[in-house]
Amino acid sequence: MDMNQALGTFVEECRDLLAQMEDILLRADSADPDNAVTQDDLHALFRCAHTIKGSGGLFGLDEVVAFTHVVENALDRLRGGTLVFTPDLVSLLLDCKDHITTLVEATAQGDPPEAGHGEALLARLESALATPGGGVVTTPQGVSALAPAPDAAPEPQPRVHASGGGAFGTEHWHLSLRFGPEVLKNGMDPLAFINYLSTLGQIVHVETVSDALPDLFEADPERCYLGFEVALRSDASKAELEGVFEFVHDDASITILPPHSRVDDFIALIDSLDENERRLGEILVSCGTLTRRELDAVLAAQRAEATAPRLGEMLVHQGIVAPPVVEAALVKQKHNEERRTQEARSLKVPADRLDTLINQVGELVIAGSAVQLHASKARDTELQEAAANLLRLVEDMRDTALRLRMTPIGDVFSRFPRVVRDLSKELGKDIELVINGAEAELDKSMVEKIGDPLMHLVRNSIDHGIESPEARTAADKPARGRVVLNAYHESGSIVIEVADDGRGLDTARILQKAVERGIVAADASLTEAEIHRLILAPGFSTAETVTNLSGRGVGMDVVKSSIEALRGTLDIESHPSAGTTMRLCLPLTLAIIDGFQVGVGGATFILPLDAVVECIELPQGSDACDYLNLRDQVLPFLRLRRLFDLPGEPPPRQNIVVISFAGRKAGIAVDRLYGECQTVIKPLGRLFEQISGIAGSTILGSGEVALILDVAQLVQHAAARPHGRSGSKHQHA
Amino acid sequence: MSKTILIVDDSASLRQVVSMALKGAGYDVIEACDGKDALGKLSGQKVHLMISDVNMPNMDGISFVREVKKHPAYRFTPVIMLTTEAAEEKKRMGQDAGAKAWVVKPFQPQQMLAAVSKLVM
Repeated sequence: MDMNQALGTFVEECRDLLAQMEDILLRADSADPDNAVTQDDLHALFRCAHTIKGSGGLFGLDEVVAFTHVVENALDRLRGGTLVFTPDLVSLLLDCKDHITTLVEATAQGDPPEAGHGEALLARLESALATPGGGVVTTPQGVSALAPAPDAAPEPQPRVHASGGGAFGTEHWHLSLRFGPEVLKNGMDPLAFINYLSTLGQIVHVETVSDALPDLFEADPERCYLGFEVALRSDASKAELEGVFEFVHDDASITILPPHSRVDDFIALIDSLDENERRLGEILVSCGTLTRRELDAVLAAQRAEATAPRLGEMLVHQGIVAPPVVEAALVKQKHNEERRTQEARSLKVPADRLDTLINQVGELVIAGSAVQLHASKARDTELQEAAANLLRLVEDMRDTALRLRMTPIGDVFSRFPRVVRDLSKELGKDIELVINGAEAELDKSMVEKIGDPLMHLVRNSIDHGIESPEARTAADKPARGRVVLNAYHESGSIVIEVADDGRGLDTARILQKAVERGIVAADASLTEAEIHRLILAPGFSTAETVTNLSGRGVGMDVVKSSIEALRGTLDIESHPSAGTTMRLCLPLTLAIIDGFQVGVGGATFILPLDAVVECIELPQGSDACDYLNLRDQVLPFLRLRRLFDLPGEPPPRQNIVVISFAGRKAGIAVDRLYGECQTVIKPLGRLFEQISGIAGSTILGSGEVALILDVAQLVQHAAARPHGRSGSKHQHA
Repeated sequence: MSKTILIVDDSASLRQVVSMALKGAGYDVIEACDGKDALGKLSGQKVHLMISDVNMPNMDGISFVREVKKHPAYRFTPVIMLTTEAAEEKKRMGQDAGAKAWVVKPFQPQQMLAAVSKLVM
């Protein structure tokens, strides 16, 4: 593990924290009472900044620390109630959050962040802080501050050298250490401190003061009875020496006398200690701190001011018991926090390990089917039962393994509140964003890939869909527009809708534009739905002025093709002045599916089970046509044998598998039905990727390869073909 | 025999850096992401020092210290608390719980090593 790796962790961590900050800030800005910011949120908000600052310091990211520190101050005051959210403050904090993001991302890239922007923000933030509560923004403590014990033992200001007369000639520091009885219980080892002291200089002499030690039979082995007088030759400053004992300040009395201290200091020292004066003097002499002559001088001087009160017995323990109220509040807070983290408890695992696991589970599925196949061939019931058991467990495991890769679509949705807020402000529109079904899950790799297409659709809705507040009021609509993001599962797919209640698509304008651009012929007669789909054609754009929102040089055709690359579809539903809904339909996963196995000639094919509606027998005598009557509905169907030019004659009785995709049905004519099977999708080689109608391949228990049919393409293919004509063409072939 | 140090902090990067520094100085390190996690990971095994953040989700540092100090194996184990706040009340509660050593974040790894060597020989 090196520092770079830790830095990577830091950047990841910051991204999560910053996303959380944004979420809370946006909720602070929304008027929705269900989403109101709670005190817990304010604590969480503070903790985000707090953690970024704390960890940033470790990496020496001074800009991050300094900037975040001021933000943290503001957040601290928010949670303390001395500062309240205003729309301006939320905007400002969002800007600050963005700036922290910039700083952190710059770190990730290894670029020094550009100066200037941060200072402007800080100035705004500080003036915001200065106005209402009147608090003063403290400057960062910097990275050097180890905890100065604020309620430290009575400590004189560092008096480096004695001024005036009365100084002794000792060249070394004298440290008088009296450890309190509780130090051992607090985990402090006196020896460790003295040992550490030796790293700052040379210990000339240590004298152990065991006067407080009672009779050994009465002594409590868990208590410390010892004191030490230490003579140290060192170039360290007094503050450094005091720093050695920072952790025991409360539990011990530490007196540090610099070299050449004055007589008074020694008198004060001897006075402050419990031991017999004469004995102390001897110790000081034996340490070499004082000479005998000096000791005599000190003792004489002390007798002269014998009326001075003794300063001893200062080792008093503070025992402040938290009042029950505080306890109760803590318990409650803890409870809340537990609940919250329970919800978000998660583990970060590198994606490639999951992929490996899923691959292995896939192999296990195949091996399991092989076992089952052999068991049924061997006609051994016990073996068959065992194999069935095994296969059931493998199936459960497959589901669990696949679920590992599933992430809520909310991860993608979460970036939109900010987008909607910023864009609607920029355009002077009032737009509310409603998110439904953020918990619907889909494969992680899909989540990553649908972000951009979705962003484009949302931008389109805001820019072209929703009208200005004036236009809306004039059209008898609420002034506040509404963009809805919807996600839900439907038969093995996830459907994502981007809906707005704007003006809807203008069919006349679209048609006119399409004709101008030569996309359709001027005399073409198109249905409304077909006109709507024209906006998906390459090179189509209706925006009168290219705003910097949706007119980014990426057309809807790019959105469409990136969705199709994910084996998904894009549908448009639009009603004049009622709004437009863009509906994306995507497969949930790309790895393992429940399949339905069918046979044509010697070949085996797999259909995704979710897409299969029913199976019927192909009526006799329907050889010539490619559609049949299914309960008074026309059902177009494809003959796999013809579609893939498979050799051999069809058997007398054929079957139709009815499949459905995106609300449309089609039939597939096959020779035999085998039934359900687990299917591990193996990608096709690059040579075969472009073959239409095939989505992938899989390996059967018998070791044979079966092709997985692409339902979306087959349904489209069946529906698009003029009935009858292609059938006869194939008959010629 | 090398000494074992427990580090409890919700920031993975902080844990990583501190643990790197400590391992570099020859200590063994156990990492935990909050008080609960730490209690689970300790389960009676000997540690020579515990370093814990104060402000953590799930179980904060002070509750952790209070809890861990009830266990006979850890009664005499020193604790360093990490904090960015100079909140006196928090500190008092922490000291009552048995955490006498406090280190202010942000700190440099060397500073942590210095603090550690004041408590562990």
